[in-house]
Formats: sequence, structure tokens, C-alpha cells
Amino acid sequence: MHTPPEEHPVRAALSFHNISAIYIFVIMFIVFSVWIPEKFLQPGVWRSLLDAEALTGLAAIAALLPLVAGSLNLAVGAQVGFCAILSAFLLSKAGLPIALQLPAVVLAGALIGYLTALVITRLRVEPIIATLGMSSVLLAGMAWVSGSQQILDLGPDYRRIATTQFGGVTVPVYVLLVVAVVTWYVLERTPVGRRMYAAGYNPEAARLAGVDVARLKTGTLVAGGAIAALAGALLTSRINAGDPTVGPSFLLPALTAVFLGSTQFRRGRFNVWGTLVAMYVLAVGIKGLQLGGSPRWVNDLFYGLALLLAVALSQWEKRSARRR
Amino acid sequence: MADGLAPALLRVTDLVKTFPGLTALDHVSLEVRGGEVVAVVGHNGSGKSTLVKILAGAYAADGGAVVTEEGTELHFIHQDLALIGELTAVENLALYKSPDPDRACELVGRFGPVFDIEAPVRDLTPAQRAVVAISRALDGWTHPANVVVLDESTESLHKTEVDVLFDAVRRLAADGAGVVFVSHRLDEVLTLADRVVVLRDGRKVADEPVATLGHGRLVELITGGQAAMAHTHETTVRDGDPVLTVRGLRGGTVEHLDLDLRPGEIVGVAGVLGSGREALPSLLYGAASGAADELTVSGAPYPRRSPGGSLSRGIAFVPGDRARHGSVRDLTARENLTLPQLRTLTGRFGNLSARREHAEADRLFTTYQVRPARPEQRFALFSGGNQQKIVMARALRDDPAVLLLDEPTQGVDIGAKAAIYDAVESAAAAGTAVLVSSSDAKELLRLCDRVLVLRDGRCAAVLTGTDLTEHRLVTEGYGLS
Ligand SMILES: Nc1ncnc2c1ncn2[C@@H]1O[C@H](COP(=O)(O)OP(=O)(O)OP(=O)(O)O)[C@@H](O)[C@H]1O
Ligand SMILES: [Mg+2]
Repeated sequence: MHTPPEEHPVRAALSFHNISAIYIFVIMFIVFSVWIPEKFLQPGVWRSLLDAEALTGLAAIAALLPLVAGSLNLAVGAQVGFCAILSAFLLSKAGLPIALQLPAVVLAGALIGYLTALVITRLRVEPIIATLGMSSVLLAGMAWVSGSQQILDLGPDYRRIATTQFGGVTVPVYVLLVVAVVTWYVLERTPVGRRMYAAGYNPEAARLAGVDVARLKTGTLVAGGAIAALAGALLTSRINAGDPTVGPSFLLPALTAVFLGSTQFRRGRFNVWGTLVAMYVLAVGIKGLQLGGSPRWVNDLFYGLALLLAVALSQWEKRSARRR
Repeated sequence: MADGLAPALLRVTDLVKTFPGLTALDHVSLEVRGGEVVAVVGHNGSGKSTLVKILAGAYAADGGAVVTEEGTELHFIHQDLALIGELTAVENLALYKSPDPDRACELVGRFGPVFDIEAPVRDLTPAQRAVVAISRALDGWTHPANVVVLDESTESLHKTEVDVLFDAVRRLAADGAGVVFVSHRLDEVLTLADRVVVLRDGRKVADEPVATLGHGRLVELITGGQAAMAHTHETTVRDGDPVLTVRGLRGGTVEHLDLDLRPGEIVGVAGVLGSGREALPSLLYGAASGAADELTVSGAPYPRRSPGGSLSRGIAFVPGDRARHGSVRDLTARENLTLPQLRTLTGRFGNLSARREHAEADRLFTTYQVRPARPEQRFALFSGGNQQKIVMARALRDDPAVLLLDEPTQGVDIGAKAAIYDAVESAAAAGTAVLVSSSDAKELLRLCDRVLVLRDGRCAAVLTGTDLTEHRLVTEGYGLS
């Protein structure tokens, strides 16, 4: 145990291992800039990317929080979708003013999270199954509320929430930023965050260290539900309609970002900035492919492969950390 | 026995293994011949488990070679046992065969009373799990000249269980098998081994027949000359109000127990596997479910026990199962140390003060001599003994009023053991009431003012003063008196 020098901290921080997404981003950027410069290098493209993906970012954080504490949430897409429809329904069919409608939607999202948590902690259903079931229930609810039709006529004001710009950037981006900073602070700078990681890694040891695992799990699912609801409300505002088909498609990009994000910065730990970086890198890839003229199914292919790769990568990371 | 003519079943030459920042094995060579028991000893982090893991193929060596005799298989009992928690004992014993409860019963029965072999292994006590792992490694040999490797397999076993294991090992050796035996219990090493290999900081510093070594010489080789302290405890009788009182405690293997713990006293709990010895600390802490007619802490009733409730009443607990209950392996050592009590490190904005937390971790690392001194390393990457030091440090961190210990020095080397005993004693001197459940009679003699001997879930005897002897511990444990 005579000690050779430890790995150089700066070199370790910049290693491919630690920030692979950023290297991948650079490579993609070069490829697309050479291939389709006139389309890819437009400020408009980048601004719309930032804006459009803000909602995916919210969905990803909504999935991230419960996952840190050990519950994989397969219902985030359905949660976003349901809350999007609910937003439209409350405005157009129930005629609620926005000042009531928004809090009601967020509350509903939190309630959905709470019910999911009850199923997981009280009925002791595995999170994957519980959220899969919940997802199906929410899809049914969506179809029922909307009659499987778009809900239009939301009034003139609602649209402005998601489209108003400050300094060239739309409101959802600011919302994402605030949610991300708060989440980061809670996860990495407070006792609650520390306990969440402990509960996610080893619930029994966490319990013996005095952590109330069930309450933490509930808390993360409720917070995740509220954030998903926020994404849903903004989604409806953005497309100025309640569209029952859009929400569920948030699941794959969100989960992919969370898993790929766990391989970034924090050596295998789920974390906010890794998630957001991964999400935007993936989105740039998709955008480039679209601009280059690939068909739409390439989206699914891309996210599917990226998810498999991300999880394989994080597993490999775990194993190599043990072996090295 | 080892005679120069027996073939070397296993030959390790010039093995090198480095981890980022340290060399765990530095050109280590050794040979194991048929019929020979080779003990590998060394301080915590000296590279013993790393050697075993390379033999098992779990780690790749950076240099050197491992060669086995044609047809020789290696069988392992790892420090962490490598059982599948969700499967029952029967299934774990028959991973590559069809499960056979009768055979499992017979295998396990050799080590004492048969426990619930149809329960998931993760619900068993550490000692029971050790029995399963050992039974598995000794089962189903097609060829007598194999090599068995035991990495600290006796740490959670009681003396008599150890004897059964040793009998089994000796029988194997007599049939021509080679045995590699890693242990910190030097008495066991001296009784069982034919030859002793000593590692220090990853280097082999001795490889000698046991006949030429005594206890003192062995200690010298392991520590590199620093004398390890060996002094016995002065038993003292405390009076004063008990800090913890319990009447009619029951749950798990505990049937009915009364207990008073007074500030400053160290009370031991002894007993064979299944006597309630291993269940008592977790029951008191509220980790396992149970009930009591009456339970008071510092005079106030404590009706519904829970880990959180216990911690806030100043009751700390070191679980016997370090890997599953005592730690979160994917968090860093620092994060493990501070997890049970984060409030004292919280700043004005509900934030954790990074500065104070790092200082706290550094302090504990120094006090408990954890090596390597890297609080930011993941817990899983520390050697077994150093992990145990971290878990102990965590329990002692906030000067608890009551300290419940389950096998507190498992896997800890002699130097660190002395340090842990000192820490427990100085905590007691500062007023902490300590309860130590241990399968190691020497440990109880060394530490305790009085020892409760449990049998069938009840207190069979309370030994103090001159009655507190190893002989009495054993006879009372078995009800032989
Ligand atoms: N995967 C790993 N990554 C980094 N360091 C490691 C890893 N595994 C072991 N080590 C380090 O290598 C050294 C040797 O560890 P090893 O587990 O072999 O010790 P040991 O002799 O078995 O000690 P103990 O008696 O405490 O079990 C220790 O310093 C340990 O921290
Ligand atoms: Mg070891």
C-alpha cells in the first residue's frame, strides 16, 4: 500500500468516462455542421430546440426524483399527458380562470403521485408494476376526459404562458431552470437529498440509519407528479390545445436522459445536470437527423438505442468501478 | 500433512494487483500442496481478499500467474459469502443441481441445529448464512484433490460452530485437498494451519511452517514490530439508574428477556446460534419487529421502537451484517459516516455544510485509523476490516447514551481490534451504556463487566467477576452445567 499518485483530478473530470455526452455532442456538432451547415447552423433551430425540449426536461426531472429514491416511474409520460388534457378541460369545459386552473392541475399531479406512492409503500407493489398500472389508468382517464378528441378553444390568454419570451427565451425554459436548480439543491446540498440516495441504493440500511424510506419515496413521487403536471400544463399552452396523443411520448426521452445522465459527472449517480445535458445532446442528435431528412421513425430508433446504450454504460461503469 | 513430496495443487507466482492510487498485491507468490492447510494472515487492507478474488477470477491480476494442477478445482467461501439472497438455503446449495431439501438438511446439520432452510437466505442471520456458504463449498466434490479457499469464514461463527468447520476442513485435507485459510483469529490459525503466509501492505513478509511460530511472533510479523496491546478488562459493578430498562422482550429467536443497562457499563451477550444472542441488539434498536411488556429509556417509556426513534433517543446500533444493514456500499465513506445524524451538519438554509461534513469525516478517519485515508472513496472499495471500522465510527460519532453492538469486530485485525475496544471502553467511561453481542468469547472476556448467556431465547445465566470465564460461557451456552 505504498501510494502511487492518485488519479489527476482535472484529468479525471475531463475524461471521456466522466463527460462522454459532451464529447458526443462535439462530434455530432461537427458532423452536422459539415453535412447540413445551412440548416443546422441557424440560431432559430437552436432556440426552438431549447424551447421545445424544456418540457422533456421537466418530465425527465419528474422521473429523476423518484428514481433517486428507488422508484422507477414508467408513468411520467401518462402523467404529463393526463395533466395536459386536464388543463385544457378545466379551461374550456369547466371554464376555470387560469389563476385557479394552474394550481388545480399541479395539485392533481401531486395527488396522482401520492396515489402511486400509496400503491408502492402500502400495498407493496414493485414500482415498475405500480407505475405501469398507473400509466394505463391515466391513459384511460385521458381518453375519457377528452373523448379521444383534441380539446380546442382554450381562450386567448392561456397560450401566452408558454410562448412569452424574456430575452429571446420562452417561459418554459425559465421554469425548467428554476425546477432544476431547486432539485439540484435538494439532492446535492441537503440532508433530504442524501437520504434519498441512501434509500434508493439500500433501503434496509437507510432504514436502520433512521431514514423514513416510505415517507421519502412518497415525497419524491408527489414532487415528481407536480413537476409532470407543470410540464402537462405548459404543453397544452404551447400547442394551444389539449392533445391526448402527445403526453405518452415523453416517457422514452425522459428516461433515456435520466439513465444516460447518471453516467455523467457523478460516476453512476442519478443527477440533475447530467440528465439535462444528456437530454439536450440527444435532442440535438434527433434534430440533426430530422434536418438531414431522415424519416420520423428514426426518432424512436434513436431514443431506443440511446436508452439501451445508456443503461449498458451505467452497468459497465458499476462493474468497472468494482474491478479496477 | 505437508511433506515435500505432495504435489502443489495451486501455484501462485509474482502476483501484482494495483488499484488507482495503491498497490494491493506486490509480487506475491505462494504454493498450496495437497493435504496442506495454508493460513494467509495480515492486517486490514493487506491484500488478502484481493488475493482470494484473483484466485476466484473476480479480479484480473496486473501481473503474475495462477496455475492449478490438472483436474484441481478451486472452491471458495468469500468474505461476503456470495449467496443469492432471494433464494432459500436449499436452492443456494443446489445452484447447478436440482434442489434437495434432505441433502441440504444433512449438510447444514453438520454445523449444529438446522434452521429454516426454506426461507430466503437474506432473512437468515450472518452466522446461518456462513453455514450455508460453507456447506455449499464443501458439497459435491468429484475429486478429492481440490483446493478450498476460506476468506474469514469464521468471523460470525461461535466457537463450537468453528470446531465443526475445522473438523470438516481437516477431513478434506486428510483426503488430499489443499486449504487456504484467511483469518484474523490467530488462535485458529495456530491450531488449524500447517503453514502461515503473512502479508503486509501487499507484500509477502513471511511464509513459514506453523511449528516455528508462536502467537507473539505472528503478531510481530503482521504488525511489523509494533506491539499489540493485550490487557483484560477490570470488571466493575455499576449502580445508578439504568438508562435502558426492558421487561419481557420478545421477537425473533428471543422468547422472554429482562435487561437493565446502566450508564458506563459494558454488558455482553453470549449464546450459540439460534439462542437469541444474534437477535437481541436489533430487537432493542427497533430494527427487527418484536414486543416488550415494558421498555424505558432514561426513565421515559419508549413504546413503539423504530430506528429513527432510537437514534433520536441516543441509541446507536452496529448491525452484524455490515454489507446489507450497516452501510450503503454505493455512497462514499463520508456519506455513510454522517447518514444517521445529518442535523448537526445542517446550516442556516437547510443545507449540508460541506466544510463541516468533510472535517467530521476526516476526524473519524483519523480516530479509527481507517485505511486508505480517503473519505471520498466509495464504501464498497474499502477492505472488510476497514469497512467495519467505518461502521463503528459512525455509531460512536455522536456519543450515544446506549450503544448496541452485534459482532463489532468481525473481520478486524488485531491492531484495529484494540483500537475499537479502546473506543468502546472510552465511550463507556464517558457514560455510554454498551451492549455487545458476540460469538467471540475472548472478546466478551476482554470487554464486558457482565455477560448474559442466552439459551433458547431466554437468559440462562449472568456471569460476572470470577465467574466470567471462557469455560463458563461455553457450558452455560449449551446448558452443560
Ligand atoms: N475495487 C477496489 N478499488 C480500489 N481499492 C480497492 C478495491 N478493492 C480493494 N481495494 C483496496 O485494496 C487494499 C487491499 O484490500 P483487501 O480487501 O485485499 O484487504 P484484506 O487484506 O482482505 O483486508 P481485511 O482484513 O480488512 O478484509 C485495501 O486498501 C482496499 O481498500
Ligand atoms: Mg478481506
